[in-house]
Amino acid sequence: MRLASRTRPRRGVPERDAALVRELVAAVGAPNVRTDDAQRALLRRDASVFDGGDAGPVCFPRTAEEVQAVVRAARRHGRAVVPRGAGTGLAGGAIPLGAPVVVSLARMTSIGEVDRDARAVWVEPGVVNLDLTRHLRPLGFHFAPDPSSQQVCTIGGNVANNSGGPHCLAYGVTNAHVLAMDVVLPDGEMARLGGLDPEPSGLDLRGAFVGGEGTLGIAVRIAVRVTPNPPAVRTLLASFSQVRDAANTVSAVIASGIVPAAMEVMDQRITRAVENYVGAGYPLDAAAVLLAEVDGLPDGTAHDADAIARIAREQGATEVRLAADDRERALLWKGRKTAFGAIAQIAPDYYLHDTVVPRSRLADVLEQVYAIADRHGLMVMNVFHAGDGNLHPLLLFDAREPGMLDRVHAAGADIIEASLAAGGVLSGEHGIGVEKQAYMDRMFTPDDLDHQNRLRRAFDPECAANPGKVLPTGHSCADIQQLSSAARGLWV
Amino acid sequence: MDLGIDPERLNACVQCGLCLTACPTYRVSADETMSPRGRIALMREVQDRGAPLTREVVRAFDTCVQCRACEPACPSGVQYGSLIEATKATLASRRGGWIRALAFAPLSRPRLLRAGSVLLGIAQRAHLVPRRLGLSARIPLWRAPLRASGDDVWMFTGCVMDAWQRDVHLATQRVLEAAGFGVRPTGAGAPCCGALHVHAGLHDRAVALARRTMDGLPGDAPIVVNSAGCGAALKEYGHLLGTDEARAFSARVVDVQEFLARHVDRLPTVEPLALRVAVQDPCHLRHVQRAHEPVRTVLRPFVRECVELDDEGLCCGAGGAYSVLEPGMAGQIRERKLSSIGRARPDVVASANPGCSMHLAAAGVAVRHPMEIVDEALRLSARAGR
Repeated sequence: MRLASRTRPRRGVPERDAALVRELVAAVGAPNVRTDDAQRALLRRDASVFDGGDAGPVCFPRTAEEVQAVVRAARRHGRAVVPRGAGTGLAGGAIPLGAPVVVSLARMTSIGEVDRDARAVWVEPGVVNLDLTRHLRPLGFHFAPDPSSQQVCTIGGNVANNSGGPHCLAYGVTNAHVLAMDVVLPDGEMARLGGLDPEPSGLDLRGAFVGGEGTLGIAVRIAVRVTPNPPAVRTLLASFSQVRDAANTVSAVIASGIVPAAMEVMDQRITRAVENYVGAGYPLDAAAVLLAEVDGLPDGTAHDADAIARIAREQGATEVRLAADDRERALLWKGRKTAFGAIAQIAPDYYLHDTVVPRSRLADVLEQVYAIADRHGLMVMNVFHAGDGNLHPLLLFDAREPGMLDRVHAAGADIIEASLAAGGVLSGEHGIGVEKQAYMDRMFTPDDLDHQNRLRRAFDPECAANPGKVLPTGHSCADIQQLSSAARGLWV
Repeated sequence: MDLGIDPERLNACVQCGLCLTACPTYRVSADETMSPRGRIALMREVQDRGAPLTREVVRAFDTCVQCRACEPACPSGVQYGSLIEATKATLASRRGGWIRALAFAPLSRPRLLRAGSVLLGIAQRAHLVPRRLGLSARIPLWRAPLRASGDDVWMFTGCVMDAWQRDVHLATQRVLEAAGFGVRPTGAGAPCCGALHVHAGLHDRAVALARRTMDGLPGDAPIVVNSAGCGAALKEYGHLLGTDEARAFSARVVDVQEFLARHVDRLPTVEPLALRVAVQDPCHLRHVQRAHEPVRTVLRPFVRECVELDDEGLCCGAGGAYSVLEPGMAGQIRERKLSSIGRARPDVVASANPGCSMHLAAAGVAVRHPMEIVDEALRLSARAGR
């Protein structure tokens, strides 16, 4: 239903939300509730290609108790709640569906005292990933998960998506770095999941919650593991004349028994785009480059770096070089981490996929990915966390071209099919969100999905937490139409 | 509504959000309407989708400091500066912009500016100047005259800086001379670069000032600038006017530290000052000119210690006239800078931009221009040697 603009209240949310807004203001204070069209228009979207949903009132709580009060107010009015960090998600997880109350956690940014005994620190969900690492660095620690968006993305978002990053190959993804959480459950109750003890008793509800994409509640205080900074780091750059050789090198390195801190591959198109942005000295004539990093004690890293260089040459590397200093290392990583944005120099839109295949099948699946893009007349670039087989094919396009989006989605579906057929999975680290809901039943049996659904309902019996995400249509909380018939603003 | 933004440039943003934390107003507000991605999305809503210019939308644009820290953070190469400048110009023409036009009028009229400055200096001494204007240092009632010593380089003297901080010009000139360059101050020949006009959206006035500046500084001599804001504006004349002549002019413009870093071996070796100096990077030096490293190259031989602030070059909140127009937001942004300065524990902060140094000094920070520090080291050593 669309209200005529004549009858729209001056402020953006419908008048019938007035009582809800009053309660939200009571919960967090007037300056921390926004109902205007501009704010709601921006929070309709995240960094994914999906066009936005419809945001209801937007709240900016500053404490765990305020989050609780917001969730309770929303429940009293039968409205769902969608949490949001920096809005850098690529699967549409933060897109508000059905005019829910949007809870921005970006103002909750405090970092507690580092507990050196437990090697942990309590942080609030709005703390930016890289800010945490910068804060810990002088103390000799860092936060290991390092998504490419780490300069912006928040710890709360990392928890919601169980985010990975290049250095998660050796250190594990976010789940391995969250010890405990205080969460506000969908009914407004606060609960502590996990604990700082080495073996917390009971079911591992912490493990169930990490990666819940906001469908199980909102983490409001998170105890994260702090990882000691390695005494020595060596970064190698190997060039290859074929993408296949780079992929095979990755498998051969792991097979040799070395687990590097990171192993990343970029193909030629992406290398050229990032080189244009960072000027890190990436070779422009190589079909693919492998960025490998080893860390640990100096002698060990020297040994491993030599071994990786030897394996790369055996697999056909045309050149292998070692980053000379920290500055060169930083530039090489900056290139890798800004790869997705850098492609906008080539086309105005991109669709970044995220599937995982067994490492041994990397080379085959990559060839299929190039063929799929060709078949749909699209340009594809490949940049991926090669060490754990996590593919990130980027489809480039201009959405203004008629029919283009359909071709992009069709190509995306083919890539997912190819990955699953190779024994892979739907998502490495971006989450399911709205992006991969429809593919869930390709991956999971009805029985699997039923169990996931029941877990979700145990946390959220009323479908009030980020509805319309993750589980496919047909399961409860997936269909949001009945949840709201809220008026849509002019912005939609 | 057409905001006058080039559609291709507007379309370059992929909404990845990697700019958010580089933006000082997002950092203090956590509000996406006050982030570069948010502002660009709002420009699209207004220009492409006909959304109305509501109070919140206008506020989103007004609060942009135009520090342009989002540009180096942007892997897509979005030219945010040109997007926001076009937007501000459209907003200014809608508002009539005459109040600002009037307020900026003295900038290009040295005698009027001088008279106003003297009045302001007197008012200051009589405690009649409101604190929110952020004038900490006393505006001088008397200034030592500028004299030309040769024609190797122009030294751009500008408007407010020449009226209020001529000591920095004199120090700059002495340092350039110590490196063996004959200096010709630009003075009334080029009274104002037009940077503040560009920021305020007074496009036509900015273009007129650019033409006047180019006419006033003929020849091929490098135009050395000690104000980061002016330097950035002069380097962008090529974009502003879009002519070969303007591009050739901009190519002659060089920040004074950038210039001296190339000739650092020509400066005498002297006893360093016993100072721990924290370098504050003015946004228009770091993000626009991308010439902030030379400040360190030039300073290091002349001080005991040169330390970095830990805030990755986040804006201090000065932003030309921003600290006067948006005092609340400017103050919050400055708080972050002050805590970063506090952690660096410097004896003095070196800032190569007059706006930043005034804004920081107003909060009680000991700030000096890098050229003043180098000049002092040179002079102390010359005195000791005598």
